[in-house]
Amino acid sequence: MTVIRTRNLAKSFSVRVGTRGAFSLRSLLRPEIRLVEAVKGIDLTVEEGESVAFLGPNGAGKSTTIKMMTGILYPSSGTIDVLGFDPQRDRKRLGFLIGSVFGQKSQLWYHLPPRDSFRLLGAIYEIEPRELAKRTGELVERFGLADLMDIPVRKLSLGQRIRCEIAASLLHRPRLLFLDEPTIGLDVVVKQEIRALLDEWNREGKVTIFLTSHDVGDVEKLCRRAILIHHGTILLDESVKSLKRRAGQRKIVGVRYESPTAIDIPGLEAEKRTPDAAKFFVDSGAGDLQNLIRRLVNLGPVADLTVEDEPLENLIADLYRTGSKEEADELVNR
Amino acid sequence: MKRENAQALLRAYARFFAASFRANLRSAMEYRTNFLIQVFGMMINNAAFVVFWSFLFAKTGALGGYRFQDVMFLWALSSSAFGLSNVLFGNARQLSELVRQGDLDVYLLQPKDVLVNALTSKTIVSAWGDFAYGFVVLAFLGFDPPHWIMFALFVVSGALVFTGVFVISESLSFFLGSSAGITGAATEFILSFSLYPEGIFPSGMRWVFYSLVPSGFIVFLPLRVFRSWSPGLAALVLAVSLAYAFLAAGIFRAGLKRYESGNRIGARD
Amino acid sequence: MNWLTAKRRKYGSSAEVAIRNRWAYPGDFLGLVITYGLFVFVFSRIWIAAYSGRAEIVGYDRSMATWYFIVAELVVFSSGNHFWSFAREIRDGQVAYSLGRPYGFLAYQYAQKMGLALTQWVPFAAIGGLIGTAMAGPLRFSAAQLPVFVLSFLLAASLQYLIQACLAMTAFWLEENSAFYWIYSKISLVLGTLMPLEFLPLPLMRATLFTPFPYVTYVPARIAVAWEPGRAWALVGGQVAWTVAVGLLAAAIFSRGVRKTTIHGG
Repeated sequence: MTVIRTRNLAKSFSVRVGTRGAFSLRSLLRPEIRLVEAVKGIDLTVEEGESVAFLGPNGAGKSTTIKMMTGILYPSSGTIDVLGFDPQRDRKRLGFLIGSVFGQKSQLWYHLPPRDSFRLLGAIYEIEPRELAKRTGELVERFGLADLMDIPVRKLSLGQRIRCEIAASLLHRPRLLFLDEPTIGLDVVVKQEIRALLDEWNREGKVTIFLTSHDVGDVEKLCRRAILIHHGTILLDESVKSLKRRAGQRKIVGVRYESPTAIDIPGLEAEKRTPDAAKFFVDSGAGDLQNLIRRLVNLGPVADLTVEDEPLENLIADLYRTGSKEEADELVNR
Repeated sequence: MKRENAQALLRAYARFFAASFRANLRSAMEYRTNFLIQVFGMMINNAAFVVFWSFLFAKTGALGGYRFQDVMFLWALSSSAFGLSNVLFGNARQLSELVRQGDLDVYLLQPKDVLVNALTSKTIVSAWGDFAYGFVVLAFLGFDPPHWIMFALFVVSGALVFTGVFVISESLSFFLGSSAGITGAATEFILSFSLYPEGIFPSGMRWVFYSLVPSGFIVFLPLRVFRSWSPGLAALVLAVSLAYAFLAAGIFRAGLKRYESGNRIGARD
Repeated sequence: MNWLTAKRRKYGSSAEVAIRNRWAYPGDFLGLVITYGLFVFVFSRIWIAAYSGRAEIVGYDRSMATWYFIVAELVVFSSGNHFWSFAREIRDGQVAYSLGRPYGFLAYQYAQKMGLALTQWVPFAAIGGLIGTAMAGPLRFSAAQLPVFVLSFLLAASLQYLIQACLAMTAFWLEENSAFYWIYSKISLVLGTLMPLEFLPLPLMRATLFTPFPYVTYVPARIAVAWEPGRAWALVGGQVAWTVAVGLLAAAIFSRGVRKTTIHGG
């Protein structure tokens, strides 16, 4: 079943410019208005059970798109269908079916223990008390919250809070979960825990995940599909696996010699170099890699040799730097 | 809408309201000492004016047709109604701040009315003292049960009007871009005019109390009903306060449309 | 640069910072001015009602009662309620931090608060004067009153600062001390701010003169509306005595509090 479908989705904001002299009569009476197109015609379809990473540099239009999908903002043009509803017209009904974790914005009451917030959320989402107790029990066990449920949220660490936050967002068993930077500011261990929990929930077929993050780890560990938007348009939409494979076609070869050596490879410039070591980027196809390694070994006694895939992060960073779909395609298909 | 649906909706909201209230109470109780100090402080604040009025009336007798008991009634009703508004709808005077910080999103994502959900998500601790104060004064003044019921009813209707005033002044931020100080000024005005005898103000400005600064419906008309029972007037007060609350909700909704459609966006992000 | 100018520069600039901070938030301040204007309006109306059918009450006519309120509240509004910021700074350990600086914490604070009071009174006085004149006629004020009044106003603002400082410094020992300030400001309302002391029952009025309350609001307000040179100087003498006494108390509380902070490490 299709969970999200947008057609030609666009949103523009009119922004008041020229705030110079906030009290000037002219800026008050005839403010200069500039139209900013935040989202320019997005078509995307997400099927039930998918886990999608929604990527893009700051200001690319990610939050605007998510806000339109969840009914917070009205699109300027185009249509959205989320779980069979128009998010703007049926916001309240859709509310029962979707969940959201917006990193900085909490649904938990700051001064109260999570247990109280869970109870309130039970009332908001109209979950019968007995059912609520059952689900709370399950989530507490699954997310390891037993010791946290009775401590006021303000006394929890960020990681503990986010764990509670995610559990709270699953309380009404949403079919679609929006996550905006869920792991921001967390340490490595907590990040891994949270990714594992969400991944599990998704793989059991309980929820479709739509996630934005600047953390490539989130994307690699949690998502099977990546959609990248930039300047309000989709630059790339493909599986994380193939994206990784493309990134992996470029290898990073590192070499260190036992003594200072003149490291000269005709036709290949080193990315980094010290008297006894160097680093090269090379495509793995066309025998280039084999060639390079053979030459490096021939230059002298090798102390260490490493071959790594280029990290996904580099590819994404390159994509962020491109301006158009054509450039992006070229980059991905190089 | 079908009847069962309406009933289910009502039940769902009743439960939601009860849960919010409970959360608010527990939240206030998290800081027990602070809670008690605030409540106590508010009672002292209000009591100071009792002393003032008793000294003044001792020197002057009736003021603008009001006796000491009448002024005490104004204070009792205003405090309790203002208190109830801030106890139940603690966010009423912070709506524009919620909008500015983008914190309205949380309520927009939940399947309950945005305004009700946002308003009930906070309680003002000191307001509990205001709320209690009116009933303490009423006990001192000594009234029969029917008057207690009347008083309680007027506390509820007054709280609706107070909340309406706050919501309207805060909703202006949707249209003006900033409402800095409007609600503060509105609060001062409505409180100041609800705490002093209507009769001391020139007759030329009293229409204000039945329109812009609706103190008339919060205290002055209820006082008349309290002095001599009039079902018509009581019904009018209740009807107007409900109408006021709906008007406020309507204005908020109209403003929210602008927020959602995002035509006006400040220097955010 | 001699010692005195150095000192004056230091405290002078601390006042300047406070004033600039104040004007950084004109909206908040405007709110206070509106509130004050509203109070003046409401109380002018109360006195109109109270004086209908009589020319005077306990020696005050309507104009005197109205202007009394305007001046008394002027002291309260223009000296501000700096209890909160003061207590917060102590709780945050700002005191310990400023101990390392070459000026006394109390004097530094005093310079700040007085700097504020000395500029803030202008808009309040303007709006109060306007409404008062419109509703009760101009204030009858003679040139001879002026120096005594100014002196008494300055002493009142200083006393107000010192009392609030003493109350705020309980924060050295107590986590939550706002109740003290609540009680103080409310008692002060009844004892000489909302209405002249003479309106109180006689025994209460006599007893009140032995407390600091009337020396903050009653004395400047009384001097402004009723000119009796002999009594005025006596009242100002009372202000001086209380200012010195509370000043010594504040210094004592401060040195004890600081000792406690340094021992327990803030």
